[in-house]
Amino acid sequence: MLFDELVIAIMKTINLERTLSAPYHIIKGKKSGQTIQDVGYYKLHPYFGLMPKLEKKVYDQAVKGLINKKYIRFNEDVIDLTEQALTHPLPTTSLNGWKYRGNEMIFFNRLSLVIQTLSHTSRSINKFDPIDNSEDIQGWVKRYLKAIHFRDLESVAKLKAEILDSLQTLEVSDGHKNALMQRLSGFGWSGLTWEQIADIQGIHVLDARLAVIESLHAWLETIDEKRHPLLNGMKENIVELSSLTESTRRTEKLFKEGYSLDEISSKRQLKISTIEDHFVELAMNDPLFDYSAFLSPELYREITDISKAEQTKRLRNIKDKVPAASYFQIRLALAIKEEVK
Amino acid sequence: MKLEELLHQTYGFTSFRPGQKEIIEQVVAGNDVIALLPTGMGKSMCYQLPAYLLPGSVLIVSPLLSLMQDQVAQLKKMGEKSVVALNSFLKREDKEKIWQSLNQYRFIFISPEMLVQPFVKRQLEQLNISLLVADEAHCISQWGFDFRPDYLRISEILPVLGNPQVLALTATATAKVTHEIKTYLKIDEPFVYTHPMDRINIAYDIKRFENTGEKLQWLQDFVQKFEGPGIIYAGTRKKSQELAALLNGSGISAAYYHGGMEHQDRIFVQQQFQNKELEWVCSTNAFGMGVHIPDIRHVIHYQLPTSIEGYVQEVGRAGRDGKQALATLLLAPGDEGLMESIVLEDLPTRNEIYEVHQSNDPKSLVSDGIVRETAYRVIDYWLKQLSLEETYKQIEMLQQEKVKQAGKIKMLVTITSCIRQYLIESFDQEMTQKPESCCVNDHIDYEAFELRNETVKKRDPLSWQNRLNALLPL
Repeated sequence: MLFDELVIAIMKTINLERTLSAPYHIIKGKKSGQTIQDVGYYKLHPYFGLMPKLEKKVYDQAVKGLINKKYIRFNEDVIDLTEQALTHPLPTTSLNGWKYRGNEMIFFNRLSLVIQTLSHTSRSINKFDPIDNSEDIQGWVKRYLKAIHFRDLESVAKLKAEILDSLQTLEVSDGHKNALMQRLSGFGWSGLTWEQIADIQGIHVLDARLAVIESLHAWLETIDEKRHPLLNGMKENIVELSSLTESTRRTEKLFKEGYSLDEISSKRQLKISTIEDHFVELAMNDPLFDYSAFLSPELYREITDISKAEQTKRLRNIKDKVPAASYFQIRLALAIKEEVK
Repeated sequence: MKLEELLHQTYGFTSFRPGQKEIIEQVVAGNDVIALLPTGMGKSMCYQLPAYLLPGSVLIVSPLLSLMQDQVAQLKKMGEKSVVALNSFLKREDKEKIWQSLNQYRFIFISPEMLVQPFVKRQLEQLNISLLVADEAHCISQWGFDFRPDYLRISEILPVLGNPQVLALTATATAKVTHEIKTYLKIDEPFVYTHPMDRINIAYDIKRFENTGEKLQWLQDFVQKFEGPGIIYAGTRKKSQELAALLNGSGISAAYYHGGMEHQDRIFVQQQFQNKELEWVCSTNAFGMGVHIPDIRHVIHYQLPTSIEGYVQEVGRAGRDGKQALATLLLAPGDEGLMESIVLEDLPTRNEIYEVHQSNDPKSLVSDGIVRETAYRVIDYWLKQLSLEETYKQIEMLQQEKVKQAGKIKMLVTITSCIRQYLIESFDQEMTQKPESCCVNDHIDYEAFELRNETVKKRDPLSWQNRLNALLPL
């Protein structure tokens, strides 16, 4: 998937309902109530938090390009896609941003240092400048290498075979796999910069980055505990145990202890609206979430029916039809409706 | 035990490099030392070895995160395990672990910002520190090209540590800066070691052009004619990118390097240069630290450097192997004006000073983009010492000093006498030896430089399977 396609994929689902900067927050993984809710309402999980360091001006440039190419009509309020964009075929993708949250890079950083080390030690070279100087990656890799008996060339051969085997079956293009391997380095072979990779393939730098992220998400799904035990070991702790944000988790704990929304707000010294965001996030993530403290079953049904009938998730449109409901109740109802698998 | 024996036993070297022994002897004897050693002359050995003879730990204050990381990496590469780096990028979990075991480390690196935090002070107070090292000590000079206000506060920490002896290290210091180091580090009678700053194997060239087009043409011809490796210093990030694209377009393997790049990409460019996968790196002044390549043959300044000190440091990355190297400065009309504006650009403006003075939350001015980060650090420091009016005056004086620095660079490209002599005298030293191949105003032996061997071709990219085979060939 190219970066432009990623932007269009997100825009298609929120066309006419959200602003041009909404996709940016999704891709960057902004942890605000609005963005997290959008992910839930519109099922944007694959695209959440793909590029935590994406700069706004870089994104804006991509959007400008799409406007110039007549994919987006100029509109001050909301995303307004042209027919060309709406009918543009999108490739299937292995992206799973919600699950990995940028942690795929931890896996890759470990792998990079492991490969660099083995590339040297298997040639009996014991001194080299490590590709990663962070204490946590170095410490982790040291423990890992010891555990797999890295001086034993058989282990190295096994790891190599696991990489070949798992990548062979990966359903991403060879260009993707090339990019992935070009980010690795070893004896006599340096890694390539994003720009160098992009130049080789004739793509944009953002496309090269996305290719590696997409490959990693596919790879992490493919790596099998039994068939690829050495690679599987590098996945340690990279999938977040719960997809809730830290702050929401604390609100959940207090709620389970019996505190009300207002009490949690004053206890945590956070605005009511922030705590409301947390409940919406909880509703989105937990199919068994009990909404009865905030919303009657009748009101819930009324809101979801209107949303369906009018084909909208815009809060203001729903509020016009169901004036009795507060915005919080509408958001909550929509979040519950869209159960997360 | 003799120092040579200890050196061999600990680090496997059979002899000292010039200056190292004199400095180490003084440190071990308990004296304060200011050591002026050019980069690449093994400055860090001056505290590494004493660490084995002194009873307590060595605390090294290092001004730049990247520099600190590089020093730690180099020490570890030498097999030194008892090293820790304290900087604001440490994670909370890691920090707690480190605080608990701090007294077990032989080498403790710390950033100047952290040094003065009350919590950190309390932790350091409990340690037995035998030696405080101020690395890149010229950063203490408010007049210098690299001023770091936090460095001035090193003196605050000395009593906390029980006034250990001090070793101030720098590659570049005039007599004026040396004097400031003495004052601010409160070392009255240090042993001062001054290594001749001149690098006899570097010839200094200046090329003048009618316009930018000619300059670019000359550069293209030069990189086609002569063999690298070489660095081209460009004044701006954008220019470094343009030059790299130009070289790549004419079949020369080049890459750009600047502070705006992702960390990993920067490491890759360094790696490629080190592995000889690149002939040229086009860079801002961000490139150099952590680059340990002895055989750089050429350093070209595409734009005028902004200070003599900076120039000498950048040029000094060439010819560490002792073989002939060439430093070429390119000059076209308008370059001097551009350099002057870059020099003054970094200084705090009157408006920035005023805003910081008025604000209750001055740090937010930085995040809101009203005051620049670098300007803020300087303003914040002076406003804590001086009144608003005095701060204005202080910055004006700084401005005059910068103009003076720029004037020295302008002089460099104007004089018709020996450039080597001019550079040496800028550091209050005297020329003792003049090589045959010296500078553009005397004589340069271009024959000494290897012509480009065109049979060397760029490597074609491999398929992913072949690349994996190349990385792990078994």
